[in-house]
Amino acid sequence: MKKSSIFGLIVIAIAIAVIISVYSNTSTYGTFGDAMKTTSELHIVGHLNKSKELFYDATKDVNYFSFYMKDNKGEERKVVLTAPKPEDFERSEQLVLTGTMVGNEFHASKILMKCPSKYTQDKLEVTEVKAKQASI
Amino acid sequence: MDTVFKGEHLLPGQIGQFFIVLSFGAALLSCISYYFATTDADAKASGLWHKLGRIGFFINGLSIIGIGSCLFYLIYKHYFEYHYSWAYTSRSLPIYYILSAFWNGQEGGFLLWLFWQAVLGTVLIFRSKSWERPVMTVIAASQVILATMVLGVEVFGQRIGSSPFLLLRQSMEAPIFSNPDYLSFIKDGQGMVPSLQNYWMIIHPPTLFLGFAAMVVPFAFAVAGLWQKRYKEWVQPAIPYALFACMILGTGVVMGSFWAYESLNFGGFWAWDPVENASIFPWITMVAAVHVLIVFKNTGHSYFTATFLVLLSNVLVWYSSFLNRSGILGDTSVHSFTDLGMFWQLVISIFAFLILSVVLLVLRWKELPITKKDEETYSREFWMFVGAVFMGLSCFHLLVVTSVPVWNEILKTKIAPPSNIIKHYNVIQSSFVFVIVLLTGITQFLKYKKTEVNRFFIVTGIYLLFAALITALIAYTSGVYKLNFVFVLAMWGSVYSVIVNGKVLVDAFKGKFKLAGSAVAHIGFGLLMVGALISAGTSKVISINTTGEGYSAEFAKEENPRENVIVYRNQPTKLGDYTVTYTGDSISSPNHWFKINYKKMDANGKLIEEFTLKPKVLISKGTMSASPDTRHYLFSDIYTHITLTNAITATEAGSESAEAAHDADNDDKNYDAPIAHDVAPGDTIKYRDGYIVLKALNKEAKVENITLTDSDVAIGADLEIVSHGNKYSARPVYMIKNGNVFDFARKVDDAGLKLRFSKVIPETKKVQIIVMQQPESKKKFVVMKAIQFPFINFFWAGTIIMVIGFFMSILRRKKELKLV
Repeated sequence: MKKSSIFGLIVIAIAIAVIISVYSNTSTYGTFGDAMKTTSELHIVGHLNKSKELFYDATKDVNYFSFYMKDNKGEERKVVLTAPKPEDFERSEQLVLTGTMVGNEFHASKILMKCPSKYTQDKLEVTEVKAKQASI
Repeated sequence: MDTVFKGEHLLPGQIGQFFIVLSFGAALLSCISYYFATTDADAKASGLWHKLGRIGFFINGLSIIGIGSCLFYLIYKHYFEYHYSWAYTSRSLPIYYILSAFWNGQEGGFLLWLFWQAVLGTVLIFRSKSWERPVMTVIAASQVILATMVLGVEVFGQRIGSSPFLLLRQSMEAPIFSNPDYLSFIKDGQGMVPSLQNYWMIIHPPTLFLGFAAMVVPFAFAVAGLWQKRYKEWVQPAIPYALFACMILGTGVVMGSFWAYESLNFGGFWAWDPVENASIFPWITMVAAVHVLIVFKNTGHSYFTATFLVLLSNVLVWYSSFLNRSGILGDTSVHSFTDLGMFWQLVISIFAFLILSVVLLVLRWKELPITKKDEETYSREFWMFVGAVFMGLSCFHLLVVTSVPVWNEILKTKIAPPSNIIKHYNVIQSSFVFVIVLLTGITQFLKYKKTEVNRFFIVTGIYLLFAALITALIAYTSGVYKLNFVFVLAMWGSVYSVIVNGKVLVDAFKGKFKLAGSAVAHIGFGLLMVGALISAGTSKVISINTTGEGYSAEFAKEENPRENVIVYRNQPTKLGDYTVTYTGDSISSPNHWFKINYKKMDANGKLIEEFTLKPKVLISKGTMSASPDTRHYLFSDIYTHITLTNAITATEAGSESAEAAHDADNDDKNYDAPIAHDVAPGDTIKYRDGYIVLKALNKEAKVENITLTDSDVAIGADLEIVSHGNKYSARPVYMIKNGNVFDFARKVDDAGLKLRFSKVIPETKKVQIIVMQQPESKKKFVVMKAIQFPFINFFWAGTIIMVIGFFMSILRRKKELKLV
């Protein structure tokens, strides 16, 4: 076999390996119900229940923020974020949480929130909050 | 329709719109003329088409300048009847940000791109000799496509492009616009997003767009080469332009990364945001292309790979534009733009370049100078080719993951990106980097065509071993060895590349100077990787909360990240090696700076280092947006960012003093219940944050605006307050005037105290001092995050060195070039 064909095969093998590793690494958009069944992290899309308490008291614990979110199926859970309360959280129209269930609480490691932009009409602004500094 | 609106300035917009249409028409004329100048044999002789092509292109260039001037005028004059100036500026915007307002919107970005492409086209007209006609056909075509993006004209009910000269009343529907006098209600624009109000935003976008625009030049040469069947000749003139594109785009991307590091709050220089990824797709493929172009020039191998990568790079520029501008990234990116209704127009543009490339390659396939013979195993060309392919694979991986929303759109699936996406990217990309940097070293020992094998293995082996030793040392001292093994490998490869290319550079100074450019660029990339690996891998959050107890028992059990600390004003807090104090504020509306003092003591408590950082919070429209401040050292940075604060009052932005609104009764509500202490001079009162000493009683106390008669008494209590190592003094006053008793409380805001001298007790010769202290929650505090980034300067320095290397290579390749 020619060297270029061998190399070509190697390249194709790596390309396939890349696709498989990406595919196996991808997560899913789920609900709180799905989160109960798994221990791996997943994304949950939903919206903030503005009628329930948003708890944050910097003088007690700066890294504890909790609120209630309804997922797209209408199921509601208490969500805990181990970081300060994001600015303008009350105004959010949609939340995308990443994290796992711990007992009956959902512990989020990352929250992506969409707020109506104050700068551009009809535009949703996306902001992201992480509980932990990204590490490699 | 016939309403006459008052106060609108329609003329500049109309002129601008005229220039847009003119630029589009002129580009089209230029493209067609150049096309006939290339294909029509008779026309070649007369040169008429050629002349027309040039004229068209110059008119196009001038009208782009015209568009820019009109737009600038609108913004500068605050003509808020135009959507662009209303949406991105306000009257209070500082003058130097007017320039960044210019490219704040998507239309401005396209204008920059158009402008740079016109500049590059003009350079090509004068410099590319026999290549001018075919190359300029492609450039002008690209200019036509770009012009459609800002056209803003309706054709068959379909709006094409989005014009920056759109009026506010045309851009949205609202009842206010039925009022002919609507403009008198629009006093101010929306203003610029605070995070863009940064000097890097003035320079970063133009650089980035020059990089994007430059990608079309090698593309045009490749297309011209295939089209005109000058298969081999196009390569050499394209190399300097390809290098230029890499140099500028690389610079632009890292400028963006520096902006993010200096003024955004995500705490790092690279976040693998889809927008960032998209901007390096074309960079990676073009760098790979440069390498195989050189291989082809020197050996005749890798023709197809070189052509393919050059063509691909320009297609990827358009693909990345599509990702950023179509709104498709919505759920995954925090930076992308929203759809301006140009989704399909952008898709069509990508396909225009893609189909052109594919059709030409297919048509010319049989004639392409592809070598049938394999490269020698121990030849430089073979391993350079392998390196280029691995760069392609690295780009492929980035593309597959970043495009997850695109796959969802096409396949109608709902896949979410990997949940720990940063780690995913880092591990896989570092594996590719390992192979690539290793090859940038190994190929230096290989010669084109054939290399002596034994010697090669010995030399390579020695250098690899040497690099391994140094890597072990760096990994051990920096702590990188604790990370995933891939990162140590990538480090090893990078160190190896730096050492080998260092040797090449030394040799270059001894005589083979033309090799210096690539050596410098490789050293730069190696250092960049070393810096990135150490600083991202071992960055340490020093604001770990050690004092606060877990909120709930269940919570405390887990290993939870607690990366923010609360720092009360004037209350020193220990953070790692530092003692941090929030010492004060400085306010210049809309900016509020927090003075955060860092002190480092040695074991004996001697001060060895002290500095003050001023992270900023910008208040705009009732929203606070924070911007970090960083202390730079040669070998590490300390980054400080305010996550939350109670020190900013809601009214601050409105410049009214919140303090003035308080009356005495209300004021007491800001304090805990008063505690009375009976003390004699010299006694000490303990309280939560320290102690208070009654130094003396002063009978000559005076209170402003109150004159005392002989029968009146006024006594001041000289108090010294020691709180967290700071000393303050206060003198509350006790007064009997006309038989009535008054006391004048004194506040020590910095210590959160209010002190009253309420009673004199003659029997015990004591006085009563009432101490009121603010509850923790009423005291001013900031919640902050501090991160230490070691060796991040390697990252910036590596980038600069790499850019210098590119520049040196451009000079060399230009010298080699003798164009006909």
